[in-house]
Amino acid sequence: MIIDLNVNGEPKHLQARSGDRLVDVLRDELSLSSLLPDCLSGKCGRCFIFMDGRLVLSCLVPAFKAKGSTIQSYEAFKDMPDVKEIILAMEKAEALPCAFCRTGKIMAILDLLGRSPLPEEKEILKQLDMVACSCTDPVSLVKAVGMAAEMRNKRKFNRADK
Amino acid sequence: MTEKNASEALPLLSSMQFPGMLYASTIRSTVVRAKNFKITRPKLPAGYRCLIASDIMEEDIPLIFGDDFYLFAEKTVSYKGEALGLITGPDAAICDELAGSVAVEYEEEEPQLEWESFSSSQIGYKYAIDYGDIDLAFEKSQHIERAVYRNGIFDHHYSEPMGAIANWEYDKMAIYCASQWPSDVRRSVAAIMRVPETDIVVRPTDLGRSLDGRLWFPSIVACQAAIAAKVCKKPVKLLYTRKEDFLRTPKQARSAVTIKSATNEQGKLQALDIKIIINIGIYNPLARELVHQAAAAITGIYACPSIRLEAYAIKSNIIPLGAMGSIGATHAFFSIESHLNHLAKTLGKTPAEIKTLNMLAKGSSNFGSKPLDYEIPFAKIHKKLEKISDYRRKYASYELVKKRDPGCREGIVRGIALTVGYQTGQTFSNQPSMNAYSVETTLDRDLDLIINTQASIGSESLKAMWKTTASALLSIPPETIHFSPPDTDRTNPCGPLTLSRGASTVNKLIERTCKAIQKKRFRESLPIVAKVQTRSPKNPGLDKSPAQGNIFLDSASWCGTAVEVEIDTISGEPKPLAVWMVVDAGRIVSKEKALSSLRSSIIAALNLCTGADFNPEGIESEEYLRDRNLSLLDLPTIGIEFIESEKTSVARGLGELPFITVPAAFYSALTQALGVEPRQLPLQGSEILKLLETT
Repeated sequence: MIIDLNVNGEPKHLQARSGDRLVDVLRDELSLSSLLPDCLSGKCGRCFIFMDGRLVLSCLVPAFKAKGSTIQSYEAFKDMPDVKEIILAMEKAEALPCAFCRTGKIMAILDLLGRSPLPEEKEILKQLDMVACSCTDPVSLVKAVGMAAEMRNKRKFNRADK
Repeated sequence: MTEKNASEALPLLSSMQFPGMLYASTIRSTVVRAKNFKITRPKLPAGYRCLIASDIMEEDIPLIFGDDFYLFAEKTVSYKGEALGLITGPDAAICDELAGSVAVEYEEEEPQLEWESFSSSQIGYKYAIDYGDIDLAFEKSQHIERAVYRNGIFDHHYSEPMGAIANWEYDKMAIYCASQWPSDVRRSVAAIMRVPETDIVVRPTDLGRSLDGRLWFPSIVACQAAIAAKVCKKPVKLLYTRKEDFLRTPKQARSAVTIKSATNEQGKLQALDIKIIINIGIYNPLARELVHQAAAAITGIYACPSIRLEAYAIKSNIIPLGAMGSIGATHAFFSIESHLNHLAKTLGKTPAEIKTLNMLAKGSSNFGSKPLDYEIPFAKIHKKLEKISDYRRKYASYELVKKRDPGCREGIVRGIALTVGYQTGQTFSNQPSMNAYSVETTLDRDLDLIINTQASIGSESLKAMWKTTASALLSIPPETIHFSPPDTDRTNPCGPLTLSRGASTVNKLIERTCKAIQKKRFRESLPIVAKVQTRSPKNPGLDKSPAQGNIFLDSASWCGTAVEVEIDTISGEPKPLAVWMVVDAGRIVSKEKALSSLRSSIIAALNLCTGADFNPEGIESEEYLRDRNLSLLDLPTIGIEFIESEKTSVARGLGELPFITVPAAFYSALTQALGVEPRQLPLQGSEILKLLETT
């Protein structure tokens, strides 16, 4: 079947079989290398996408369900200031995730900061818990998310560094 | 990102593609042991191929790897899941499906699964040592205790499943795989292909978190991929599925450690009779190392005038089993620390009292070796740990609560325990290749520093630590420091980068090259190159002399860990409430990085303790798909302090310390909470409930 959808701002017509998962179709047809299908059961958190603005695990979405939807993967955000700030905050807080969970963690943080501009520690941990990789120290990660939120708010409200 | 920076990011195997690349899936045995088997080749679609032992031998490729491990079974089957052949083709999913549908007839025979009571044919390696008149000591002693401590099989949960790509590059074969020891991959593939090592180039891919599980097995997968590439004359990717990776790759070896001790009335050790049995599964080329590390660790903390020790690596018909987080030391510390806690209980003392009384001190030694001429900081660590964890008060109050409320009406029970341990900076191996590390550092004309070492396969935090070292010595910003791609054509052969052993050695080498550059900096024109390599240390060899235990302590990092746990008496689920750690790892290069690394390792170690024992027969649930059992919301409070000791000028490794001490402390805290000694790890909620019922 042919699935018409919008991926990272461009209209696409993707070829898929009835049982295909969205993650496989996006990776195989569009070479979106940020998606790392691993557990294929929604547990590892390495295949996050925004589907019509909601953060979803693309391994749990049948490809045909994406018909007509708007998909944004990490590739759509990687050059945006929001992501650059998250990466900078991670570096500053010594919270460097491994290459396997990096995009998953960034997507989860992006989603959180979009909903909650000044998240509390519990909120952060709950959000990061969706990415099951214990490569990074959670204390440093919480610190990094706090720093990223700070940078984002300063930029958004045009506040200079004190 | 500059070109120099871009070259540092290692690729992920799963994302790599080459023109015309084929995929390979492994045909695996479905029985544990067979004296004969026959494969019926399936009907394959065009472009697919079935490769079995006979096809490979026709190509004049040897099947045997190392001394006695077959890359593909030829006649006999030795464990469930053993590779019998490969299906290659252009679609990975179809290859998987075809490999699973291959019909194999087996002539089965009784497997050897028992390992605690073993036959002589199962002994992979044996080490024995004794000192002092142990029989006399036991005869004289009024207080003799004997107990067996068992450690289960733990899964590493690699960041990416095991795999390799073999690709043809004009006159060379390029191997892409995530290995802690790229030089070993090159050596192994060259041996199998019967070509000089220079005809093989290994380009490491991202290791992720490997916990010493990728020391030698990636060499086997690389050889299998290389064979397929040679036969098919195309690039081949052999990448395990997550389930296959869980069931068929090496795990931490299980062990049973029997300790018989004799003490005097005060609780001072008079004799120790120790038997260590480590089950290495069907094969482990580092069996000797495992056994020696365990033997040294178990006799390296507490002073005892008479010791008899026998340690065995035992083979059985299950997947290869090996190292995790430390090479054999976890088993040893878990057992000796648990035994000291047991002694404390039987002697009516606190574990802290017994341990302080018996710790090796300046002037003491084991096995009659030269007395220690420096103070091992255990007493200092212990004292500080007791203070920051409020150990004595908590220990006494939990004991009191147990006495007042034996029926656990409150629904929760708590326990706290302290352990001490160390990690050495050395291996015991005779192989020069295991202990050789080299670093070449160049300060180029742009004033960028290029570090060239195979060890740059390490994690981002490790590389960040090395950058901090170089940056501080040369007073240049960390952004101007880069690592060359760690492929084997650009770097000198290197030993394995284990959790933090190789890491601290490499840090020292980087220091030396930076100091050499600093000396020449304003005297010579740029670029300035400095190159150093380790000399292969003389093997102190536990097997050469019985008096070597203390040698390993010279380059050791020390730590003490306290764990406080709570058990819900309804569900039996143990919950770690807090972990405290006091560390002496010499000079700390970056405190923030060290804290961050220790915290994540503590959490990983706790996840192991609360996980399920691996069942080689199959999978009962899909829990293996997650790499942790503890939710981030349930994490304990973690407090870490560093102390300075006599040997603080050198930076030493600390990454293994949580894996060495946390399981022992966690177990001992559970013991206090439960009021009984389960003498095994890991412990699941259901098993704890049974134990609670017995109390």
